[in-house]
Amino acid sequence: MPEVQSSASGDAVVGMPEDLPDYAVTARALWTKNNSAFTAGTARDRWSQDEIRWGVWKTPEAEIQILPDLHGKDVIELGCGTAYFGAWLKKRGARRVVGVDVTPAQLETARTMNEEFGLGLEFIEANAEEVPLPDASFDLVFSEYGASIWCDQFKWIPEAARLLRPGGELVFMRNTDFEMVASTDEERITERLVQPLKGMHRLNWFSEDESSEFHISASEMFRLLRRTGFEVLDWRELYAADDAVDHPFYSYVPAEWARRWPSEEIWRARKRRPPRGREH
Amino acid sequence: MPRRLPDYAIRNREVWTVSNANYTAASAHDSWAQEEITWGRWNTPESEIKFLPDLHGLEVIELGCGTAYFGAWLKKHGARRVLGVDITPAQLDTAREMNEEFGLGLEFLKANAEAVPLPDESFDLAFSEYGASLWCDPDRWIPEAARLLRPGGELVFMRSTDLEMVCSADNERIGRQLLRPLKGMHRLDWTDDEVGPSTEFHISHSELFQVLRRAGFEVLDFRELYAAEDAVDHPYYQYVTAEWARQWPSEEVWRARKPELAKSRRRRS
Repeated sequence: MPEVQSSASGDAVVGMPEDLPDYAVTARALWTKNNSAFTAGTARDRWSQDEIRWGVWKTPEAEIQILPDLHGKDVIELGCGTAYFGAWLKKRGARRVVGVDVTPAQLETARTMNEEFGLGLEFIEANAEEVPLPDASFDLVFSEYGASIWCDQFKWIPEAARLLRPGGELVFMRNTDFEMVASTDEERITERLVQPLKGMHRLNWFSEDESSEFHISASEMFRLLRRTGFEVLDWRELYAADDAVDHPFYSYVPAEWARRWPSEEIWRARKRRPPRGREH
Repeated sequence: MPRRLPDYAIRNREVWTVSNANYTAASAHDSWAQEEITWGRWNTPESEIKFLPDLHGLEVIELGCGTAYFGAWLKKHGARRVLGVDITPAQLDTAREMNEEFGLGLEFLKANAEAVPLPDESFDLAFSEYGASLWCDPDRWIPEAARLLRPGGELVFMRSTDLEMVCSADNERIGRQLLRPLKGMHRLDWTDDEVGPSTEFHISHSELFQVLRRAGFEVLDFRELYAAEDAVDHPYYQYVTAEWARQWPSEEVWRARKPELAKSRRRRS
């Protein structure tokens, strides 16, 4: 199994030489390819955008208002990719934004943009299931289709809890149960139940590029968050707007499908304070 | 004060009058006699999922109790008081008959669970298994449950899943096709050749989560239930097959708590 190499820009790879899990290796290969096919080319537009928009259907944060107040917050983005969302969080008042990703090509784009826009983000090349940073060092852990779909939730969610200060929040976007049960290896999502939801956890895709995603049902996600010490504050499923058009790159779910069934969802949870802790 | 029933309550009352004659009256005796608490169509044992709070000494209201077998189980498992609310006189007649036979001392009230003629904060647990949770409007019955609960009281209910509702057709067994949009789902009017037209309410699980939060609840638990490997099709509620429900959840349970008042002392039983 290949080990993580130092990134080309010379930033230190923090921590010990890692044994990356097989799914992180295939995810890195996929995102190296996606970076040259799409994300590197669109990063500048996204970084320059001032409005926060969520996911494939670009749902405006102004409309759903699910993010906590970002002012003065220390934020870590798990699976940041080109870190456009982290950039938006910084523009909205976050004090510090650290982006973690396992794909050097994506981090290089992120660093180039960070230099160009002068936003002062920090980056770490690491697997979000095992972040080489101390406990309780962030106020917000965030992921938009990052760790939330490419990492094992039984590893990355406890890791998010570890990284958060008591009272800190976890906000992430992932696919819905509906999208996953109707998904195949083919070019487009179906309108049928084709994958059992029972026992769903790791899904291996073999079309074009081999990759693995992780998905557990919404009720299992709810219970995992509770068990990990979170209170679930919000949970929203998002539909494509009436005038939405198919995404130029993530074309797997057509807008017409996502107007009828939710294809993406956002969770917001708060790390409970210790029982005898003082409330502010 | 006269309370006019909404149109859907009248339709549903007719359906449950027929269903009581077809099935629930005859099966009530066996259900009341059962000692173990089991959930829903697939008879999932409570001892397996451990979903209910400690029932000892609790005052319970069951919203849409039907023949009240679940209320009877809650009483047997320690509830101090169980009051069953239903709009269908035929179902309540069966419930009263069983209550007399088994001597469990339940109370019954004929009312729409969206507007229960009882004072605020008079129960510790509001409960529904395919009752109000299905046949009443969640925008009405959930705030009503919140009103009836004391601070720190809990709401526990079972209903159908989003996947079941999206794959559901009129007068046919459930299939694998996504037949109806989830977006905007709220009231569903069914035709049924056997029992007549009925109206169910269903909002998506994330919308339900938000209705609970807006009504002031903290959501404590949420579970989707599958049919067990050896489950067989239900003798009366045949609409969802065991084979389907082994792969996709057809029913789900929710548990939520009304917060204690900020400065109130914790109640001890």
